[in-house]
Amino acid sequence: MIELQSIIKTYGSYTALHGLNLSVPAGEIFGFIGPNGAGKTTTIKIIGGIMAPTAGTVRIAGIDMARDPVAAKQRIGFIPDRPYLYEKLTGLEFLQFTADVYRVSPDVFGEKALALLEMFALAEWGEELIESYSHGMKQRLIMCAALLHDPEVLVVDEPMVGLDPVAIRMVKNLFRELAARGITVFMSTHTLAVAEDICDRIGIIHRGRLIAEGALDDLRKDMAGGAPNLEAVFINLTQAPGENPVADRPT
Amino acid sequence: MSGVLDLVKPRLWPLLHRRPNGSARQYARLAVMATVAGVLWIGVFLVSLRVLTHFSTIEQIGTLLNFKLLNMLLVTALALLVFSDILTALSKLYLARDLPLVHALPVPAYRIFLARWIEISFDGSWMVVAFTLPVFLAYGVVFEQGLLFGLVLPAVLVPFALLAAAFSCLLVLLAVIVIPATRMKNIFILLGLLAFVAVYMTIRMARPEQLVDPEVFDSVMTYVASLQTPSSPWLPSTWAYSALHVALEGDPAGGLLDIALLWSGTGVLLFVCIGLADMLYFRGYSRTQAAGHKFRRRPLSKTRRRSLFKGPIRALLEKELKTFWRDQTQWSQVFLIAALVVIYVYNFKVLPLEKSPMPTFYLQNLLAFLNMGLALFVLTAITARFAFPAVCSEREAFWIIKIAPISMRAFLWIKFSIYFLPLLILTEGLIVVTNTLLKVAPFMMGLSVLTVFAMVPGIVAMGIGFGALNPNFRTENPAQAVTGFDGLLFMVLCTAFIGAVLALEAGPVYRFLFAQLSNRPLSTRWFLRAWACGLLAAILCAAAAVIPMAMGRRRLEGRGI
Repeated sequence: MIELQSIIKTYGSYTALHGLNLSVPAGEIFGFIGPNGAGKTTTIKIIGGIMAPTAGTVRIAGIDMARDPVAAKQRIGFIPDRPYLYEKLTGLEFLQFTADVYRVSPDVFGEKALALLEMFALAEWGEELIESYSHGMKQRLIMCAALLHDPEVLVVDEPMVGLDPVAIRMVKNLFRELAARGITVFMSTHTLAVAEDICDRIGIIHRGRLIAEGALDDLRKDMAGGAPNLEAVFINLTQAPGENPVADRPT
Repeated sequence: MSGVLDLVKPRLWPLLHRRPNGSARQYARLAVMATVAGVLWIGVFLVSLRVLTHFSTIEQIGTLLNFKLLNMLLVTALALLVFSDILTALSKLYLARDLPLVHALPVPAYRIFLARWIEISFDGSWMVVAFTLPVFLAYGVVFEQGLLFGLVLPAVLVPFALLAAAFSCLLVLLAVIVIPATRMKNIFILLGLLAFVAVYMTIRMARPEQLVDPEVFDSVMTYVASLQTPSSPWLPSTWAYSALHVALEGDPAGGLLDIALLWSGTGVLLFVCIGLADMLYFRGYSRTQAAGHKFRRRPLSKTRRRSLFKGPIRALLEKELKTFWRDQTQWSQVFLIAALVVIYVYNFKVLPLEKSPMPTFYLQNLLAFLNMGLALFVLTAITARFAFPAVCSEREAFWIIKIAPISMRAFLWIKFSIYFLPLLILTEGLIVVTNTLLKVAPFMMGLSVLTVFAMVPGIVAMGIGFGALNPNFRTENPAQAVTGFDGLLFMVLCTAFIGAVLALEAGPVYRFLFAQLSNRPLSTRWFLRAWACGLLAAILCAAAAVIPMAMGRRRLEGRGI
């Protein structure tokens, strides 16, 4: 469903991604983890069609993003880590805007929007201007909008930022349900417990290169002497002996 | 004091450490901006010099008139400084994005206030000071004053600006306790613009063109000289005026008391502000943050309004209109434009065509031709204010457009369509009404309507296209986008475009009118020339509509968020 082939991205003289290859099939929850500045957000933006790679090919449901970006984007639901929205619209108006842009049929919009707002506990605030929403409410509204057009691929950057524990549990269950319905979920996260909890496969990116990829059990077994959890795998793979764990380069 | 300076450093460092990256494009931008600013500055100086020199030659009242103007200038500058500082203070003290971080620091509120006052003093007054300075220098030249006057100027202008900033901060500190900062900013912008519109309309309706009449001029000047401008001993503008007055008369030391009043007044006001800030600033800031969170639980409406449009066009159209009308700062701009349009039409209504020595038919049509250029300049200004920031106004929510299944070409052309129709109606309306007032011939009316119809798409497309070249999506005020290099480029190219099309039309139109006036038939050569000019003008209009949009699309496609 998501295919990345030899993706290279450079910012001036700095190379953020070095020939990234990745394939995520339909119905899989893929966790994408890595240290700060490793290239996670760059990869997410390239998959979402927000940014063009310097070289390489992105295919969404078999559609080449460079050749037919409109068709590819129609199949994606995108949830960024920072919820910037049109502050002068109400929550419901933003969903109407999204429905029009993604050409959701007016016949199904009303019921669908209401169901999503209720699912994300926003139904009572749907007629309020977004400028009065909290960070978590905006994040939930973006999730509603991302699901409104029944995407085949859900691309999520830090899904749990700003959500309360009840919403986190709801989102985790939702992702499982979506995957069970054949929807691909590609999510980048720093919350390793969430990745451990719900991801079918995990990819670890470091300095623009995919250094490990596989199911959690396989990753743990691949470590010399085994690793008790994802945190141990992550630290083992991304931190060289004597390296400062927070000294990363910005993207 | 070091704690206060630490808080100002984040503002200073980028300025001190920023170096041009060496690209030819950046140097070219800097050179163009510096040239335009320099030309404007020198222009203000030369015009002031000319006016003051002329006034000084008027017997008996010349010098008095110049001093009256100086007093008026200082009173106006004080009003502008206070207005500008109030808006800057509301932003800097209560609405800036970095405030949550700053208030989390272990620093007392009065120090944060003091650091912000330094920024407010600079941001709120640099433009007023920079562009009144050439007028004051012109005074120095006309009154033949030298270096000492040059020393008196900063000694007067610096405390004058600092005092205005301290006074504005004092007002804002007190007012925010009653009205939240967000609402107050909108109220101030609206009141300020309404005041400007009222003053502008009053001056226009007073028919200042009568001053051109030498008989009227003398009596008006005598009247101005006898005017009582506000000169209360409590007004800082009076202190500044007194200090500059004696300096211009060659006695700089005579103004020391007034200069001391300006500096000590600033000190006293700042002292009061610091005391008040310690008590009130944090309360006001806290209140501002809480003001936006008024929730009213309401049931969802399940019905969707009917619309002529569907899909992305409807989405962007409705979003644009709702965002526009829910932003009160836009209303004041609409009032301003309405006032400009009324004045524009009024100007044509009161034109004394009958007093002209030229034949009325010729003059009417000549004015109708010039009217096309003027109306298109009005359109350029309105486009600069509304259509140019259209892409930038997406702000940080631009990611929504980037991920959406619509092409950048479609996005830009939808934006174009949203602004095109109202701007076309406005410009055509202006042309038809003013030409009717001028009683022009049907040929000129037709030509004007057609020319405007052909040129409006080009001007609007240039606004949208150039606005998409380098939009700053992180800006707090997208309307300021036009003040950058691309805005300047837009204005210059629009002027060139209007000039070129009208120049192409001018020759054939002149010959046509001349033939009509002298009852001569038009030659075949005229027809060939008219067709060639018309074709060239049409090509120019098409290029203006297509090329900037393509440039903007390419930039946006290659740009991340």
